[in-house]
Amino acid sequence: MEHPPSRRGFLALAAATGALTALPAFTATAAPRRPTALPAADARHQLWWRAPADEHSLIQQGLPVGNGRLGALATNDPGRELLLVTDATMWTGGLNDTLDSDGQFPYGRDDFGSLTLLARLTVDLPDHDLAAVTGYRRTLDLAQGVVTTSYVHSGTTYRRQLLASHPDDVIVLRFSQSGGGRYSGTITLDGTHGESGTADSFAGGFPNGLRYGAAVAAYGSGGSIRTTGSHLAFSGCRELTVVLSGGTDYAPDPAAHYRDPALDPRALARTKVRAAARHSADTLLRTHVADHRALFDRFGLTLGTSSAGQRSLDTWERLRARARDGEPDPELEAAYVQFGRYLMIAGSRDSLPIGLQGPWLDGNDPDWMGDYHTDINIQMNYWMADRTGLSPCFDALTDYCLAQLPSWTELTRTRFNDPRNRYRNSSGRIAGWTVAISTNPYGGGGWWWHPAGNAWLCNSLFEHYEYTASRTHLEKIYPLLKGACEFWETRLVTHTPPGGGREVLIADSDWSPEHGPLDARGITYAQELVWALFGNYRTAAAELGRDADYARAVGALRDRLHLPAVSPETGWLEEWMSPDNLGETTHRHLSPLVGLFPGDRIRPDGSTPAGIVAGATALLTARGMNSFGWANAWRALCWARLKNPDKAYQLVVNNLRPSTGGGNGSAPNLFDIYEVAQGRGIFQIDANFGTPAAVTEMLLYSRPGHLELLPALPDAWAAAGSLTGAGARGGFLVDLDWRDGRPTEVRIRSVGGTMTSVGHAGTSRTVRVRPGETVTLRDFAR
Amino acid sequence: MRSPSYSVLPARGLRAAVVLALAAGLGTAVPATAHADTAPAPAVPATAHADTAPAPAARPFMGWSSWSMQSSKYPGLNPDGDYSYLTEANVLKQADALAKKLKPYGYEYVNIDSGWWRDRSWKPGFDANGRQRPDPVRFPHGMKAVADHIHGLGLKAGIYLPVGLEKEAYGDGKVPVRDADGCTTADIVHGDLRTTNGWDSAYKLDFSRPCTQKYVDSQARLLASWGYDFLKLDGVGPGSFKSGDNYDNVADVAAWQKAIAATGRPIHLELSWSLDIGHAADWKKYSHGWRVDTDVECYCNTLVSWENSVDDRFADTPGWTRHAGPGGWNDLDSLDVGNGAMDGLTKAERQTYATLWAIAKSPLYTGDDLTRLDDYGVKLLTNREVIAVDQSASPPARPVTPSDPQQVWAAKNPDGTYTVALFNLADAPAAVTADFSALGFTGKAAVRDLWNHENLGSHRNTITEALPAHGSRLFTVTPHGSALTTTGYEAEAGTNTLGGNASVADCSACSGGKKVGNLYLGGTLRFDHVVVDRPGTYLIEVAYVSGDARPVNVSAGAGAVTRHTFPSTGDWGTVEKVAVPVTLKAGSNTLTFDSGPDYAPDIDRVDVPSSPRQ
Repeated sequence: MEHPPSRRGFLALAAATGALTALPAFTATAAPRRPTALPAADARHQLWWRAPADEHSLIQQGLPVGNGRLGALATNDPGRELLLVTDATMWTGGLNDTLDSDGQFPYGRDDFGSLTLLARLTVDLPDHDLAAVTGYRRTLDLAQGVVTTSYVHSGTTYRRQLLASHPDDVIVLRFSQSGGGRYSGTITLDGTHGESGTADSFAGGFPNGLRYGAAVAAYGSGGSIRTTGSHLAFSGCRELTVVLSGGTDYAPDPAAHYRDPALDPRALARTKVRAAARHSADTLLRTHVADHRALFDRFGLTLGTSSAGQRSLDTWERLRARARDGEPDPELEAAYVQFGRYLMIAGSRDSLPIGLQGPWLDGNDPDWMGDYHTDINIQMNYWMADRTGLSPCFDALTDYCLAQLPSWTELTRTRFNDPRNRYRNSSGRIAGWTVAISTNPYGGGGWWWHPAGNAWLCNSLFEHYEYTASRTHLEKIYPLLKGACEFWETRLVTHTPPGGGREVLIADSDWSPEHGPLDARGITYAQELVWALFGNYRTAAAELGRDADYARAVGALRDRLHLPAVSPETGWLEEWMSPDNLGETTHRHLSPLVGLFPGDRIRPDGSTPAGIVAGATALLTARGMNSFGWANAWRALCWARLKNPDKAYQLVVNNLRPSTGGGNGSAPNLFDIYEVAQGRGIFQIDANFGTPAAVTEMLLYSRPGHLELLPALPDAWAAAGSLTGAGARGGFLVDLDWRDGRPTEVRIRSVGGTMTSVGHAGTSRTVRVRPGETVTLRDFAR
Repeated sequence: MRSPSYSVLPARGLRAAVVLALAAGLGTAVPATAHADTAPAPAVPATAHADTAPAPAARPFMGWSSWSMQSSKYPGLNPDGDYSYLTEANVLKQADALAKKLKPYGYEYVNIDSGWWRDRSWKPGFDANGRQRPDPVRFPHGMKAVADHIHGLGLKAGIYLPVGLEKEAYGDGKVPVRDADGCTTADIVHGDLRTTNGWDSAYKLDFSRPCTQKYVDSQARLLASWGYDFLKLDGVGPGSFKSGDNYDNVADVAAWQKAIAATGRPIHLELSWSLDIGHAADWKKYSHGWRVDTDVECYCNTLVSWENSVDDRFADTPGWTRHAGPGGWNDLDSLDVGNGAMDGLTKAERQTYATLWAIAKSPLYTGDDLTRLDDYGVKLLTNREVIAVDQSASPPARPVTPSDPQQVWAAKNPDGTYTVALFNLADAPAAVTADFSALGFTGKAAVRDLWNHENLGSHRNTITEALPAHGSRLFTVTPHGSALTTTGYEAEAGTNTLGGNASVADCSACSGGKKVGNLYLGGTLRFDHVVVDRPGTYLIEVAYVSGDARPVNVSAGAGAVTRHTFPSTGDWGTVEKVAVPVTLKAGSNTLTFDSGPDYAPDIDRVDVPSSPRQ
């Protein structure tokens, strides 16, 4: 997790070398480890399907691969393998600093910009028409990070493996067979923006100056491979390996306007595929699997044993049976968590973080630009990382925020107090930084200003510190925290409650995310986030020994913050500093509950006034159980915090409902689908991460100084299970075994934490442990 | 040699015998002897030869028809205006191609469709006796020359007429009917000149008048004199989108059968289009085939399209299935699978199209340009194993599952094997499973893939394959397992609970003589004690009656409700069966059929297998 932001450095190096002899590595790490053996596969980590994807329904049916930067969706069709490929940096748009007439940001694909596709790779095998093969099956092995397609054609078993290698920085498609078969067909690499290229590569550019390119190479045994026009044609091959790479000249450097002028993406892509092609397909596979498993194996989860009948079903049938029969399927439910981890490993390494879809698009124009939404979605994407042993994947978010900070600061300084901006500071003062609801990778914002977005981003970054105890990380994010505090220092206004009482500080005029009045002061969302921000900042300053005076000042402001009350009208925790319900009762956002989750100011453990807990519970109840993807996941997390296993589990199960006809739920490929309009479903990846976060939160709650075991264990998982490598705030990794609803053993390993209480079912004990060491506890009361 | 009554009685007698044979076959359990786990490829029956004088329409006819190309806007096909493809030169060109490429596989009819008596502006021509006269531009040598050429190739010639007296033939009622002393056109129609047929393009013939049969006789004699072997009579009602007395052409069809018999030439009589299934007995009595649906052609830039209207056949065919047999067949219309670009279909759609036609035992006549068949089209049209499914003595298949996007059709063959087709009508690839229990047995079976000429070895209880969007598979399944044991539950049993309008009704075809009907607008039938030993998903067989395709919500216990559409049984007196998966717990379960807000099928009984799936 301590890797420096490395992409730009690498790309410059690569461009400078050029020659094949001095092979560029994509990251700043050493040469990849190339083991000679492949670890065994485990059926528990395999999702499988009996039919390929439709190329027009790739978002629902395509299987995703990614190396943390490049992502692809594949059809796995015997006769025509199609990959839609993108790179996390494949963005149109730019700084977008000319505000609209209302003082808000333009939000179009040219000004704000959009993530978009990089390339389309097809491998046509005319003889292997789906109608002519039998025994078709495709498998996504979450642990190995490999998609395997197999089928029988004229008595020969054909096998195809697809992977996206981080160490070799290529996507690999390997075609093999047993039984004397041969492959003949064509390989076609195209851009998706009208580029012209050659059979093996293309280059392109956008009006924003971004340059990009991709390249493909093929090699095999037996037969021939040659260039014919715009294709690579292969004939009579016993085995065939196709490697693809590509990327852009994006650089996470505002000083260089987010470009690396020394980088030639097409040339670099060609260098990469040629370098990869010097290795056998077996070597590429083993290298990739070792790299993938190094992350995947950091965490394990068992929620119980599924029936033989459930195990016999393919993943789509299994989802349908889960919903139809209502029988828990603990192995499927655990696999759903691991699928989220697979996506995180595949989508968040050494490049930009995961936005609304990650690097998995089925067209050039993803909904909401595939951007970074700062009012729940990007935060939810990363709730899972530390909880499930993927702390290294969190760094992409940190690096992103750091690379945007200078631009966010400048935009805030020069644009936020624009007199047309209804959210401007009425104080007239400005300092620090904030963001818009949408952000892009060019320092720009989109849609509307989002004053409290800075606090929420900072709180997510600070939680990563709480999990990892990494002082390096804290030092990196410190400027973000301090700048956010400075912003709020200029933004808080005094308020005296009607009828007198203590004067308090409240947030200036704002919009509780996507809900209710646009001009509410003291919205609970902002009050809670800023309260947490100020506390985090004070901790950070103390930990780093910096800015003691300023930290005291921030602490004093924090003490004066208004904290939300419970409405005497509704009995709910107030959202708008008003007793009235000013919005939709079942609104998707849980913004006023941000102090329940992800914050933990509101706790059901007696430390929070019972009335506040009751108000939060009543509000959560009123929001309902029947929302969609990320909204269900957030609800599940809140119910887990309230130790209500039944509701939390039901919401997890709701997200496992099969999505058909664009309905809410899980698509055949397990991507979460949000039915934004009747019959129109959109892939939003946040639920694929938020739901796993909820599962772990049901099993382990943590805050610095306290761990709670099995706080919301549902009956479905109670019989027996285990969790290994789960991150815990306070600087621990936790292994937990349970049986009959009760912990049987917990192993607490310090990654920096030294003391914590460990609670279960009303009992608590204190544990001391030195960094790097593990303490094992047993004998938990029922 | 050919008695006038030849085409009537022997054919009907033969049909009855075959129905008995099929019924016997269905009653037989799985063949007792287990053979090798591969099924031999059935041989293709020999092409019919004129000198063997087979019974008319002993098998679905095979050939080519001109209409698909005539009706298409495909570039270059109709350069001289709509329907201008139909010319002597083009017909002979197609006949030559048929003889060369497809005749060895059993294709023998070259059928001239509408327009042979109409000029390029579609103006009709008639002879002095009100009979259709060949257009001299389209057919400069007349129709006999064409038939002679076709016969010279060893093929049979087909021709076309609309039903009724075409208005333009009426000639103020003064046109004399040929060889009918004193009869004129005024003597064969109704006094009010009421119109008939699917286009109202003809005056309805009045068969209560003695001259009328003579007009039809004169038409039949003309066609016979030219040497035609086949007549498509079009616009026939009830059907052809018409109903009511003016459009009831049963008498016309009967007159045509009589007239043809009188010629002494065994002319095959095919009826078109969308014939009323309520008159199936009439069509069977008087003709050799009937179009069950609207035109398959799309009248667009290709010959057909999937949505217009190949896919309609999946819903529209099942009601007709039991009416097909030797002597008369369900005609699904042209089989345009020979050239992907012209057909306007994917490869998967073309195979599916051919699969449905073959298992439904539809006539197999292509409307493609036979001079431009592509390689895949040739493979589809000349697959002897698939053709054998259509041409063999096996019965037509019908759905054994509800009409879901993934569906399975099957027929039990006289030799104890099953013809099984998997269909994926969804717009995306999907796995489709045929459960052997839906065929009536459990255990192993040998599976042969007919399209790919491949033995797929032994499969236990199920076979699952991945199908492309709109794709299909066609198998012969040879059972080596044991007969399925089931427990039956009658819908009318007093232990069941009826809700809403649901009520018990008499049903002579139903087991126990009763069924539960009136399942509409919230009507429910609940079996209260469906008992199984083990929990699991059971494929229950539902016997039902439904004159049209209807949906029903099925649920077991408190489990989720699954909505299925049951295919039409053709009328309200016929029982058919489909297999529906339900998840049961060990012990007693409730099983509910709920109409929801719609109209559901009537339920006769359910049979629950003794063990769950897999």
